Amino acid sequence: MVAVIEATNGNWRAPFIIFGVIGVLFAVGSVFDSFFHVDFLTREHTFLGLDNYRRLWEDPAVRGAFGRSVLWVAGNMVIQAAAGVAVALLLNAGLRGQTLARGLVLFPYVVPAVVAAMVFRFAFNDTSGMAGYLLRTLGLSDTLVNPFADPATVMFALVAVNCWKYVPFIVIVVLARLQTLPGELREAAALDGAGRFGVFRYVTLPWIAPALIVAMLMRTIWTAYDFDLPYLLSGGGPMDTSTTVPLEIRKLAFADQDLGLASALAVCVAILLVAGARMYVRAYRASEDATG
Amino acid sequence: MKTLRHGRPLRPGRVLQYAALAAVVLIADLPLLWILFTAVKPDEEIISYPPTFLPHTLTLDNFRTLFEISSFGTYLTNSLIVAAVSTLLVVGLGTCAAYALVRFRIPGLRWIGELSLFAYLVPPILVLVPVSQLVARFGLANNLAALVVIYTATLLPFALWTLRSYFHGLTVELEDAAMVDGCTRFGAFVRVVLPQSVPGLIATAVFAFNAAWSEYLFASTLMAEPDKLTLSPGLSLLMDQTSVYSWGVLMAAALIVVAPVLVLFVIVQKFLVGGIGQGAVK
Repeated sequence: MVAVIEATNGNWRAPFIIFGVIGVLFAVGSVFDSFFHVDFLTREHTFLGLDNYRRLWEDPAVRGAFGRSVLWVAGNMVIQAAAGVAVALLLNAGLRGQTLARGLVLFPYVVPAVVAAMVFRFAFNDTSGMAGYLLRTLGLSDTLVNPFADPATVMFALVAVNCWKYVPFIVIVVLARLQTLPGELREAAALDGAGRFGVFRYVTLPWIAPALIVAMLMRTIWTAYDFDLPYLLSGGGPMDTSTTVPLEIRKLAFADQDLGLASALAVCVAILLVAGARMYVRAYRASEDATG
Repeated sequence: MKTLRHGRPLRPGRVLQYAALAAVVLIADLPLLWILFTAVKPDEEIISYPPTFLPHTLTLDNFRTLFEISSFGTYLTNSLIVAAVSTLLVVGLGTCAAYALVRFRIPGLRWIGELSLFAYLVPPILVLVPVSQLVARFGLANNLAALVVIYTATLLPFALWTLRSYFHGLTVELEDAAMVDGCTRFGAFVRVVLPQSVPGLIATAVFAFNAAWSEYLFASTLMAEPDKLTLSPGLSLLMDQTSVYSWGVLMAAALIVVAPVLVLFVIVQKFLVGGIGQGAVK
């Protein structure tokens, strides 16, 4: 490190600028490539104009992937927000062993995706899976089916595992915010005759809303682009029934070797997400105004 | 809620809350416990039906088999190298850059700083295609150095912003005093600023190490040769061959991958609580 500093003659900006510029160039590169046919081996560019975008619009596989991505993001965000708030409230209720429980509940968030995929594939395997056995014992299922190999259940199973891993993120954020909630606010509401639900609806929820919205914005971006967990759990199968947009992007780029088309798809999702982000920002401003 | 918790009979609502808390902790951690228990179980117990949870006999056979019949050792070495070098670079470069951002007034510096935060929000799959083209052009395909560069570039903005807020909390007086006493700017940085920032540096390092250790997308796309695979793509390769590798062997591998991550996480949680607020100015 000292060598780097001395080599740049005390110019602290140099390493910083180099990495920053590289990052921006990558993003611009995607937009550029989306207007070309890019040869996979020679990387020769042939200008196509908007042809790649037209092909995306007409491709049934891409449309299917979009539909699954919408289900994937919506399912994840609704469950994670609801479960995250519920668990955070529970961990803030003053129960004994609360500090230990807080630490234990956060563990799944740091578990590598490949490990999460491995243990859930093991838990749900169709010969000796513990999860299948438990479901069967509870009377929720009559056979030991592997939910990742069944087109009817695979998306729900993926959402469930993803929620296991990422609900803790919402819990961390909401819990931090809950700890700054002034006690007087709750007491005042209770004096005014608000029941437990009333206190939650009119005091606690507005208080945590700004933090929750920011957390959901970040999670929406990362969930929409998440490649690892869906791919490692089901590989996009069976028969592409769990191929979401990120999996389709990599398939177009490396299996079909169509770099221009893959870039165009990436650009489309980026545009959609910016639109989605605006929605969250608007909700955030409204909730900020509400809490003053 | 300012009531004494001891010596008071539990209300039914309280009982329900405790039950819910237990359920939440179980859902979060049972899969992790199951990795541990399966990894130390003999095969007969793993494939028995109905499945059993606690191991009856303890064995290390799964670990022995893992290293004997698979290339797990190679994956482990590769991941250790990549994660360690990336972490050093991220913390080293991030510390200098964050310090510059906090202490120097250079035109355009803040702007670049904010731009880099935007770069952190750019999801990896978006830049996968251009990055892989660039890697191929530089002849770095199947070279672990490519992963080090990519991880450093993607994790640096996070390090920058964590450390920036950390340096913001430090007083300028100590540095000024050191420089009056004859230290160079760099000397003051190393002798005064860094020692006060140890908790922040450790938290950043742990985050960077975990991210590099767990990364899958770039590693699986750019490294094709079997002896260049890191843990995530290596494990996914083993996982797809359940006819070759028993679940016990796979869980042993999963345990080795997840254990350091969890240990580091626990250390950082403790360290951060104890470390913050122990400034040098009393």
